[in-house]
Amino acid sequence: MDRVVLGFDEIREGDADKVGKKCANLGELTYAGFRVPPGFAVSLAGYSRFMNETGVRARIEDYLASFHADPNKTADMPLYEEASAVIRGMVEEAAMPADMETEIRERYQALCEEACLADLSVATRSAGPASHPGQYESYLHIKGADAVVAGVRRVWSSTFNQRSLIARARQGLDVAYDPIGVAVLRMVEAKAAGVMFTTNPGDGDAGKIYLEANWGLGESVVSGEVTPDSFLVAKADGEIIERHVSRKAMWFVPDPETGRVGFCEVPDDMKNASTLTDDELREIARVGALIEKHFGVPQDIEWAVALGAELPESVMFLQTRPQKNIIEKKGATDRLLDFIIRDFEF
Amino acid sequence: MTAVYGVSLFEFDESDFTEDQVWFCDVTHGSPPWKPLYFCHGWCWPGYQTIQTGYESLQVPTSRGWQIRAKDGYPYPSVMLTTEEETKQRAPIFRERIRPYIENFNALWDEAKMDLKKNYEDLRKKYGLETYESIKDLPDYRLYDMLEEYLILHRKQWVVHMEYFFVPVYYLFGLFQNMSKKVLGLDSGDPLFSKAMAGFDSSAFRFNERIWDLGKQAVESGLEGVFTADEDDDAVLRHLEGSDAGRAWLEGFRQFLDEYGWRCERMSDWATPSWLEKPALAIPGIRMAIATKGVSSIKENRELAERERGEAEKELLEKVPADQRDWYEVLMKCAQNACYFSEDHTYYTELYTSAMGRWIFKEIGRRFAEAGTIDDSEDVFFLLMNDIYKAIIPMGRVKLQGKVAARKKEWEGYLTVQPEMLLGNPELMGLVVQKDPVLSAAFALPNVRPELAADLYGGGSAPGVVEGVARVIMTEKDLGELRKGEILVAPGTSAQWMPAFEIAGGIITDGGGALSHAVIVAREYRLPAVTGTHEATSKIKTGDRVKVDGDLGIVFILK
Repeated sequence: MDRVVLGFDEIREGDADKVGKKCANLGELTYAGFRVPPGFAVSLAGYSRFMNETGVRARIEDYLASFHADPNKTADMPLYEEASAVIRGMVEEAAMPADMETEIRERYQALCEEACLADLSVATRSAGPASHPGQYESYLHIKGADAVVAGVRRVWSSTFNQRSLIARARQGLDVAYDPIGVAVLRMVEAKAAGVMFTTNPGDGDAGKIYLEANWGLGESVVSGEVTPDSFLVAKADGEIIERHVSRKAMWFVPDPETGRVGFCEVPDDMKNASTLTDDELREIARVGALIEKHFGVPQDIEWAVALGAELPESVMFLQTRPQKNIIEKKGATDRLLDFIIRDFEF
Repeated sequence: MTAVYGVSLFEFDESDFTEDQVWFCDVTHGSPPWKPLYFCHGWCWPGYQTIQTGYESLQVPTSRGWQIRAKDGYPYPSVMLTTEEETKQRAPIFRERIRPYIENFNALWDEAKMDLKKNYEDLRKKYGLETYESIKDLPDYRLYDMLEEYLILHRKQWVVHMEYFFVPVYYLFGLFQNMSKKVLGLDSGDPLFSKAMAGFDSSAFRFNERIWDLGKQAVESGLEGVFTADEDDDAVLRHLEGSDAGRAWLEGFRQFLDEYGWRCERMSDWATPSWLEKPALAIPGIRMAIATKGVSSIKENRELAERERGEAEKELLEKVPADQRDWYEVLMKCAQNACYFSEDHTYYTELYTSAMGRWIFKEIGRRFAEAGTIDDSEDVFFLLMNDIYKAIIPMGRVKLQGKVAARKKEWEGYLTVQPEMLLGNPELMGLVVQKDPVLSAAFALPNVRPELAADLYGGGSAPGVVEGVARVIMTEKDLGELRKGEILVAPGTSAQWMPAFEIAGGIITDGGGALSHAVIVAREYRLPAVTGTHEATSKIKTGDRVKVDGDLGIVFILK
């Protein structure tokens, strides 16, 4: 039987259909020696065993047999919302097969021991397989083995969020069953975090790396709810070509009292300051270029600069995937024509 | 300054000598000075005017084209630079208008050249002229009609040649030249640059191949002795008529002339006979072919050149920063197209139109002489179009001997003049060449490097080093004097000089830049060449021992 839990160091890029794309890429990064937070993957086989062995899949199928709604009709949307709540309840309330739960608990314990912390904060993130269209959920700052097990189940149950139910129904896919992987990885306590595109999306220039950054966790940048700092760095020599330091009002951080993560106001003295030093920027870009080289195509990378560590150890890579936002690359003739009319100095 | 041949169109006046103007002598084409008819109506007026329309129709951002003046019988073009404001306005239009020449040059040129060739043939057909001699049967008024139609076609040829192709194609070459200098620090004389620009077949080389085929046939038919026994080219043709083998050879020769005979002794000049009119003009080339036993080196050289080109392209591209490689490669292809165009076009443009003009004007001259309008048929080339219109129909009313005498005297004076290379502010030349990539491709200033202590410095070159005995040849008429292995020293070369490249050891010229005939053909024949020296023919004497260093673009006179 396929394994349920695999360490990142046991996974390669080609394992996307076994553990999901995100886990496969983190495994590949780990294999290639890039600095990735320690963690493990719960495989698609784990989802499958849970759904089948606990009878949850059968219960969902029963429920859906008497569920009638049209995914293309706006008036039926509330029906999907209701179905989602019911099904997610079924998933989250079911006990995991005992051996699976034990394995996840042991893996978490190992992470805690490695970090010398009793209840290490981890993130549970969804990892769809290669061809997967879905957008599922991630849960941050989870502490304690019970919470981790629950977190994995919640990621699974997110395959039944309203949006996913409707999407599968529209595409004629199996609404009751949609195996994904889950990444469980150590939370990085980030001073700053963001994204990096190893080919400048603005003009398709492969010689320039584009970065966006905000204080705190990278979610604020990914969500698009703040205007992050942005930078353009030359791939060849790390020259910082452009730097736009924005006013950053909000950041995504754990609430010091509740520990729950969410948007908070950035302290006044940090609002207009650059989130990254030149050295940090160059280090992130330098490794970004190496990641791109390793994968062979332009990459869309999530990174973080950890608090309490020195460069270069402070720079961590949380995710990488092929970059999709490159504007359609101009043909060589157009680039030549641009060049001709840009440069009339001769 | 007096107007050359009294034509105000090309007359210098005081406003032409301000600080912001420089005039350069087009010796490449204009030496020795043309007789008035071709000077005015064949070359200067339609030729330079269509260069100007080329700059305007393309909206070249940095230049509005070349205006033209004349002095001492030589044409002096000058570049009209744009203002900054004009540059900005023209750039986006230029961007779109130059595009087809980047994306689609070959199809455009193939269509244009076939159209021109058909136009020449159609004009002959329209007047029922099946043989070269049949033009004599046209009534005067029909000959006049044909003249007018020819002049329209002649102008169309210039529009296609200059406006549609020369300006955009040479622009892209010049840009590649400038970019290679800027991005890679590479001069166009650099062997690597040269190698990337060689290995292209074209009509000019096919012409040479046919000449060599004729030479080979002559050798194989045992006719070698006929060519070597008599130095008189006409006598050779007469002797050939005297044997079966000779007559068989002449049959092949006539077929060759049908296709390639539409060319004058001088590439662009109505005042020199065409090969159809005077087949003996082909004999010096055939003698050269026979001297090599009809074994042409072009195929072997081209194979080598093609192989070296592949390697040079790779080497060049590796030197270019990765993010600029794609457009540099496209531009390199454009530059290679220019090298091909430079040798392919002459057959369809200058050569054909000049020979047709020669045919018509010579016939007009013959009738004028018969009617007493001029004394000798060749005097027609001292007339201008106004004179011809005045006298042509009906014939015999007008006497033009006075015009002929005055202009002939003026022309003979020009033959003795050593033209000044630059007029106006010479310091501007560097800037002008920079701003006008077309000019930088077509013309070059000697690149003087005193530290090399050479006797001559070139503006263009083809790689390789050779030492040998110099043979100074001022016009194609004397090409037959060249012996195998000699270093050819000439004002410039053109399509008519092609056979010389099969036997010369090296080439040195007064005029010519990186896209000049001498440079391009020397590359294909893998001969060392130094061009654009300005003074090779005045400094070097036949018999001097010279060293041609095409790698450095310099010449040493060893005596």
